[in-house]
Amino acid sequence: MNKAAAALTLAVSLLLGSYSAFAHHARASFDVDRSITLKGTVANFKWTNPHTFIFLDVKDEKGSVDEWRIEANSPNMLSRIGWTRELMKSGDQVSVTGSPAKDGEKILRLETLTLANGQKFDGQGINGGVGHAE
Amino acid sequence: MKKYLPATILVTALTFSLALLAQNGQRSAVAKAPATSAHPDFSGVWFEREYHRNILSEGNPPLQPWADELYKKRKLEVTTSDPDHPPDPVARCIPPGVPRIMYLPFPWEIVHARDRVVMIFEVQIVRQIFTDGRGHAKDVDPTYMGDSVGKWEGDTLVIDTVGLNDKTWLDANGLPHTDALHVVERLRRVDHDTLKAEFTIDDPKAFTKAWTVEKLFDLKPDWHIKEYVCAEDNEIK
Repeated sequence: MNKAAAALTLAVSLLLGSYSAFAHHARASFDVDRSITLKGTVANFKWTNPHTFIFLDVKDEKGSVDEWRIEANSPNMLSRIGWTRELMKSGDQVSVTGSPAKDGEKILRLETLTLANGQKFDGQGINGGVGHAE
Repeated sequence: MKKYLPATILVTALTFSLALLAQNGQRSAVAKAPATSAHPDFSGVWFEREYHRNILSEGNPPLQPWADELYKKRKLEVTTSDPDHPPDPVARCIPPGVPRIMYLPFPWEIVHARDRVVMIFEVQIVRQIFTDGRGHAKDVDPTYMGDSVGKWEGDTLVIDTVGLNDKTWLDANGLPHTDALHVVERLRRVDHDTLKAEFTIDDPKAFTKAWTVEKLFDLKPDWHIKEYVCAEDNEIK
């Protein structure tokens, strides 16, 4: 295999590798009949397509901390209902309500975000919840 | 690679030109001129009023046995799959195809041009519907978005699409189709703020008969189509 072919193979492998960890989740992956609320500290707020993510450190009753991945809609849709990329920063205390992943992973599909000042934001979209990224 | 470069540049230039046209559409008299002459003007950003995972909300799709089996398998997969490995092609940033692109929960904009109606989708796809009477291309290669031609019947834009590949789903539950898919869309403005779209799906390889479904779209005068890069956050772990 010459160098060009090897480089191409590597590039394709990397591409396929990244695809396998794809983070665009269908609504059907979540148990939408269940709703849970988590309170925690924002570790990271990623204003990224196709989904916006809040990585939330949540302390359980024994004091150990779990990191939850909170998934909201795309920045495009969220910016149409008042979100901005500066809505949260690391260290902020927030509360999130939404549907947990069916497979038990610590992933939540956000329905409502409540900031420390009590301000609430829809996590998916408009028209009564219509407008989710699939 | 080199021989594809001019085509790539052309497509890129066309996409940006259309995006610019779209951005200026609401302010530009030039962009509006063709539509005001003889046909209704559907210019603007439209967004589906109600989103459903199933395209057919009532009754079962009239599927051929093999397609019915595949549909059941996919429906199970979308509800049981690992969130990091969704089976839906759209969730993997594959183009949604026609007609699904119309009723994804993302807005799209109509821009009228002299010889075509252009649809700019937030999922970063441009659809061209030629209205100059040219007819479908001969021996068209199957593609995700197919070959669309349109004509006006009074106040209704009738779009006829063929040349679609079989790699897409018709809805988020995995309703299948084949490359024999023929889609007819009838778009009509029922009032200033509402566009009604009637989709007739005919695919004798996948369905036992043609079927029709209606969707309503709301005008969003304060919206514009934004950049949306589906593949951006491929890896977050």
